[in-house]
Amino acid sequence: MTSTIGGAVCATFSTNCLTGSMPASLNADRANSHALDEFLRTVERRALRMAELAAIPRDEALDLVQDAMLGFVRHYAGKPPAEWPPLFYRVVDNRLNDWHRRQNVRARWIDRFRAASDDGPDDARGMLLESSDPGPLRRLAGNEAGQALESALIALPRRQRQAFLLRVWEGLDGAGTAAAMRCSEGSVKTHLSRALAALRRALKEHE
Amino acid sequence: MSETERDMHAADAAWVADARALLDESAAGLDAATLSRLNRARQAALAGRSTRMRGLWWLSAAGLAATAVFLVALVPWHARAPGASALPAEADGTAAIVDAVTADDIEFFEDLEFYAWLDAQDPEIDG
Repeated sequence: MTSTIGGAVCATFSTNCLTGSMPASLNADRANSHALDEFLRTVERRALRMAELAAIPRDEALDLVQDAMLGFVRHYAGKPPAEWPPLFYRVVDNRLNDWHRRQNVRARWIDRFRAASDDGPDDARGMLLESSDPGPLRRLAGNEAGQALESALIALPRRQRQAFLLRVWEGLDGAGTAAAMRCSEGSVKTHLSRALAALRRALKEHE
Repeated sequence: MSETERDMHAADAAWVADARALLDESAAGLDAATLSRLNRARQAALAGRSTRMRGLWWLSAAGLAATAVFLVALVPWHARAPGASALPAEADGTAAIVDAVTADDIEFFEDLEFYAWLDAQDPEIDG
């Protein structure tokens, strides 16, 4: 019995080693890596734009997206592909929250130093939060609608903007958006409704 | 009508579709340098996973090798160990003898000397 099992183990191991083939699980993993690559390819641009619409400068937005992709692959790559979109945007949402939290802490310290030194008219907080990059929508020549939309989206409260982008742009359903934003579907509806009203108002002002 | 569309007012549908198109356009219009960085970021994320999976594969292979070596070493030792496999059988045999000995058997063993003397007697005497 023992020798039979031992023989089977040795045979399996030697077969794998001699032929150089990897276990079936590893082949399945390669297929999974390919699917992951395809998935990340489809969401990376929108994730970057979402970060930029959260008033994050391009360089930092790229770092944020890279960090989100690493986090997503590390924690959720083993989940079924159908569950990937809300999970990926949940990671992105977490990174956006972290970024804004860090900015708020930094801005508070800068305000303190500024109050202590009072040595310049520059608004350091405003400089930190304002992106010098005009963004792709604004770069579109003569596209006032694009500029207006980008400005209106940036001006939205964070949760409303995320609800709008995930539901309208990414096309997640209510449950998926709620999972990505870690809130109830009812909250998503409220955020979305307010976002639509605010955007409609803002865009009318540009007409 | 999709769930997204149901959530929106009918009046919003038109400009929401325009907004989606503008956002798509903005994502499609990213410059080459940005796309290159995104590509590198994606590759880095996937490479991290591949490295981890390769590490796991080698770990499991090493585990299998160690198990195989252990079994190969164990089988000859197991076969050569003096009386290694006899012990349980002996123990079982002793237990069987002890179980078989009942009160009647004790009387039989006590009379063994008588039966030995009887056996030693000349059969012709008894006729």
